[in-house]
Amino acid sequence: MTTTTLAPAVSVEGLTKRYGKFTAVDNVSFHVESNKIYGLLGRNGAGKTTIMQLLTGQQFATSGEISVFGDYPAENARVLQQICFIKEAQKYPDTFKVKHVLASAPWFFENWDADFADRLVDDFRLPMKRDVKKVSRGQLSAIGVIVGLASRAPLTFFDEPYLGLDAVARQTFYDRLLEDFAEHPRTVILSTHLIDEVSNLLEHVLVIDEGRIIIDQDAEELRGSASTVVGKATDVDAFVAGRDVLHREGIGGLASVTVSGLSAAERRTAADAGLELAPVSLQQLIVRKTSGSGAAAQSDWSESA
Amino acid sequence: MTTTAIERETTPMTSTPAMTRPLPSPFARIWNVVRLHLVDRRTYIGIPWIIVAFAFLISIVLSNIIGFVTGDGLGGAEATANQRYSWAVLAPQWYLIVVAVQSIGLTFPFALGFSVTRRDFYLGTSLMFVLISAFNAVAFAVLTQIEKVTDGWWMGTYMFNALWFGVDGWYVDLLSFFVLQLLVFFIGASVTTIYMRWRIVGMLVFAITVAVVVLGTLSLITFTSSWPAVATWFGQQGIAGIFLWLLVPTVLAAVGGYVTLRRATPKN
Amino acid sequence: MIEEGKPIFVQIAEQIENDIIDGAIEEETQVPSTNEFAVFYRINPATAGKGVNRLVEDGILYKKRGIGMFVAAGARARLVTNRTEEFAASFVRPLLDEAAKLGIAPNQVAAMIQSAASADTTNQKETVTS
Repeated sequence: MTTTTLAPAVSVEGLTKRYGKFTAVDNVSFHVESNKIYGLLGRNGAGKTTIMQLLTGQQFATSGEISVFGDYPAENARVLQQICFIKEAQKYPDTFKVKHVLASAPWFFENWDADFADRLVDDFRLPMKRDVKKVSRGQLSAIGVIVGLASRAPLTFFDEPYLGLDAVARQTFYDRLLEDFAEHPRTVILSTHLIDEVSNLLEHVLVIDEGRIIIDQDAEELRGSASTVVGKATDVDAFVAGRDVLHREGIGGLASVTVSGLSAAERRTAADAGLELAPVSLQQLIVRKTSGSGAAAQSDWSESA
Repeated sequence: MTTTAIERETTPMTSTPAMTRPLPSPFARIWNVVRLHLVDRRTYIGIPWIIVAFAFLISIVLSNIIGFVTGDGLGGAEATANQRYSWAVLAPQWYLIVVAVQSIGLTFPFALGFSVTRRDFYLGTSLMFVLISAFNAVAFAVLTQIEKVTDGWWMGTYMFNALWFGVDGWYVDLLSFFVLQLLVFFIGASVTTIYMRWRIVGMLVFAITVAVVVLGTLSLITFTSSWPAVATWFGQQGIAGIFLWLLVPTVLAAVGGYVTLRRATPKN
Repeated sequence: MIEEGKPIFVQIAEQIENDIIDGAIEEETQVPSTNEFAVFYRINPATAGKGVNRLVEDGILYKKRGIGMFVAAGARARLVTNRTEEFAASFVRPLLDEAAKLGIAPNQVAAMIQSAASADTTNQKETVTS
């Protein structure tokens, strides 16, 4: 492993994590390139948090190789000092006030920017003197968001960091993340259900389903890689025959079928055949690709969104 | 939003490349854990001493009651003797064992979130236990001596010069309080590491093991009619000897906690 | 601002082109930085960079080392020419195809366009006077 900035921040090869008989992460391999924003997307229980815990040394792998900045992360101070992992259910010491969290964070994050942290405290209207135990769910999330942003760690993980944050506060988070990332590029891995909200921020997308990576692709390539064809069922079926059909819906004589990879020429053919083409959002595309398109899959995504 | 970006455009874009900055030395990392435990100074310093202060107030009241009941008056021989069996001096220990449990149960997962290694966390926590124990030992030894010199704070109230304190000289007080404090911290912490590593199953196995060992030892002593020998042995050790022996379980708990925590994982 | 199902960098490039065509950004003036575009449109800076680079490749923008991106001289005229060609392909061609299906001759189409345009102008005048 070289230590230039061009080396991948994270390399994972054949990684598996089992809890008893349950396989949370199943023989997964991927790379994370430096200074990009990654989306780690997937349904609840798909294995996103476990992967992040393995990459940050909070969990130990059952088998497989992990390399973060060139080394195995668990119990490796050199590697861990460059990582900030913000998780949804972070525990805090019992008597801590908000100010204690923000007072101690700079000791552990070399790149901590105190002014930026202060601005974020104002942005999120965080009550510094309140006990962490007594702040609202949204304020608890705001603490994590502030630590994650102000730490400017070379590798930052946000695991569903927005629980309880309203739409305005979430937008503030995305905006600050983007502004600060633009000025201080670093590797960010964002795990989320709210794909529509973050899809434009992502440069690369990793989708995990039942412990396996099912999509590992540039976000721009993924966007517009699928289309929904709508029209008379017979025409639609004739057009999509032999193609990679991701989803099919029909009412009466009408059909709506999502297919991947249509070239410009094929689009014209479809238009000439009197079919309508509708774009598919990243979220729709991922929902289609995870665990088929069963009703359970649908509701799991929408309920958490 | 755009205006802030434009304002900042004048500053050159700085990348945050991995591994170019000097990272803190190993001791600095461990010391940061000590600071993390003490960032809220109430936990290890403020609240314990408030408890001591309350215990002292109660001791004043009790010493007066005892003085009245024995008809001996304040500072009488019998009243003073009775106060020796007051456990007020150890009042903060019940709180401190809970704090030690929380140091592993809550501060450990929190520190992992700050990317601290288990090793650095445990060494820092241990260093903090040693420092607080040393501080408390000195403070209580001094208070014991003052209490003796002032004949119970000029009012016949003995709280620190109680139990085995103030019996064998100040250095024995220093040693015994230091060892006791350390034992309390490491028992609380190391038992919690079992939970952090093996959860409730680990706790059950541990509790059963402890019960079997204790009952086994007691039965063995009873069935071999060795109680007088045990009593004699304790008598021979003296206060300093017993607390030197207590260093053995203290060190065992400390090392056991370290080994256990190295592979422990916080609950998700 | 950003639509679904279409690469964002293409949308950013088109957005900048529109600004040049309607004169919001003049030739030989500086355009915002990639990061400013990213923050403004709430998109990944790399994606914004891709959009800007596409315009550099097309010769619409050029780099001044250490200063930033500028609109090239003659960029507007070139864009208008390109868009006119695109207009012919994506609007006029389908219009004539559809007209042929319905048996409308090209000169009839032209007449229809003329009358629609004059109706538009009279309508506008009426709204202005009323």
